[in-house]
Amino acid sequence: MEDLMKDLAQARPPVPEVDRDRMERDLARIVTLPQERPVRKQLVRRFAPLLVIGAVIVLAVVLLPAPPQSVQPAAPPKWWHELTRQTSLMIVGDPADPYAVYLDSKTDRWLAANQQVTVVQKDGDVTPFSLQRGGNEWEAAGKPETVPQVGGNHLVRIGPMKPAVQKTAVSGFQMSLHSQARLDSLESLPAEPQELRKALETIVGNDAYRIGSLAMELISSNVRDDQRRAAFELIKTLDGARFLGELTVLSERRGIGVAMAAPPTFQFTDVETQLVINPETGLPIIKRDVITTPQHGLAAKTAISQVEYLLLEQVAIEPIVPQDVPVNGEVESPIIER
Amino acid sequence: MEEFSVVYRECYPRVLAYAASHAGSRLAEDITSETFTIAWRKSGQMPSNALPWLLGIARNLVRAAHRQTTTYELTDFPADDDFAVIELRAALSSLSEADQEVLTLIAWHGLAAAEAAQVLGCTTATFFVRLHRARRRLQAALWTPKFDSARESWKTS
Repeated sequence: MEDLMKDLAQARPPVPEVDRDRMERDLARIVTLPQERPVRKQLVRRFAPLLVIGAVIVLAVVLLPAPPQSVQPAAPPKWWHELTRQTSLMIVGDPADPYAVYLDSKTDRWLAANQQVTVVQKDGDVTPFSLQRGGNEWEAAGKPETVPQVGGNHLVRIGPMKPAVQKTAVSGFQMSLHSQARLDSLESLPAEPQELRKALETIVGNDAYRIGSLAMELISSNVRDDQRRAAFELIKTLDGARFLGELTVLSERRGIGVAMAAPPTFQFTDVETQLVINPETGLPIIKRDVITTPQHGLAAKTAISQVEYLLLEQVAIEPIVPQDVPVNGEVESPIIER
Repeated sequence: MEEFSVVYRECYPRVLAYAASHAGSRLAEDITSETFTIAWRKSGQMPSNALPWLLGIARNLVRAAHRQTTTYELTDFPADDDFAVIELRAALSSLSEADQEVLTLIAWHGLAAAEAAQVLGCTTATFFVRLHRARRRLQAALWTPKFDSARESWKTS
């Protein structure tokens, strides 16, 4: 995607040459034209009598004894809303002549202390592509609807994914769809990196990668800014983690990143997980698993899975779910049994 | 007036480039001139970072010009562009005007996301969502014939 924007910049039409004479001529003409008076002055002059009357009324209201009233505080935001986009690559087909599929979908997630509403596989699609320039293995195989994973026991369904809605009512904060980690309260988590580490160790044990993964999930959760910053600092101190410094991702978003070695997947070895956050807000921009060596025809530094954080916000509105999708119905995953 | 002149000379080329890319080179100078005329009239409202505000004015003028004419001037591209560039422009032009605008504000006019959001009159968060969707549609438009070029774009650096 980043390269796409760079390529697009290359396709920019030629910039017209500035005609300096015309530019200066226009400037000389423009500055002789009348300017709008500042609106404030005009308004004040026009509405001065009304302002005086208004001020008298306000004074009278303020000076009258007010009846005792109970003040209702504004309702606090109820939900933490996350909109993310997940993309991943999977190697499929004949192990002797494999190709790849690209899985792309969005997840809309609303979290409260004892409720969770999630829409998965939004705008989801699975697309085949060749690992070799000019290759078309999927088409040559007759465009099958399902293709076998290489090194796995499942099939991958090509084409659009069906969205699904999941609602659960459980106590505590589940950190992610795929994580068993659950916290009773986010508020009580320490905002000091080593104290936070101790708190996370009680949940996932003394495993650097699992602590780091949980800290990354915390960063995208509804925690305070100081807790979020502590989580990022904690990841930097973990064994095998390295600070990536400032970098630009998704074409134009600048952030600071941290990387840590990740366990191999069933298809890829030499993987590292990278997290890039906005240094001003502390909120995550992107989390991705990247291969550090060339594999299956993919270059080193290719992201084999990626989460883009499109929205992270507190909302007071109720979750918005697609009307035509049954709640807690069957999820038709693109990964199916052979 | 001195402050306006500084902004004028600094931003003129970029407003002209914006106008040329959206309305063609024939109308570009007139739209640029009109943009700064309006900016002068409203100079009391000019923010310190004037470019997004100026491009917002230019955008309204481009739209007004489009409404007044049914035939748009075609942008004249150099004949020696390579195939990839031609293909990319074709994919871009297959998108909606809104998608093209989101993409080109970043890629062609060099605005930061917050500035581009200001031009379009939306929040930065909304802009990111629109940009993400537009990029995806551009990628899809390119993908159809060429899966391998998409693969190249997934490299992280």
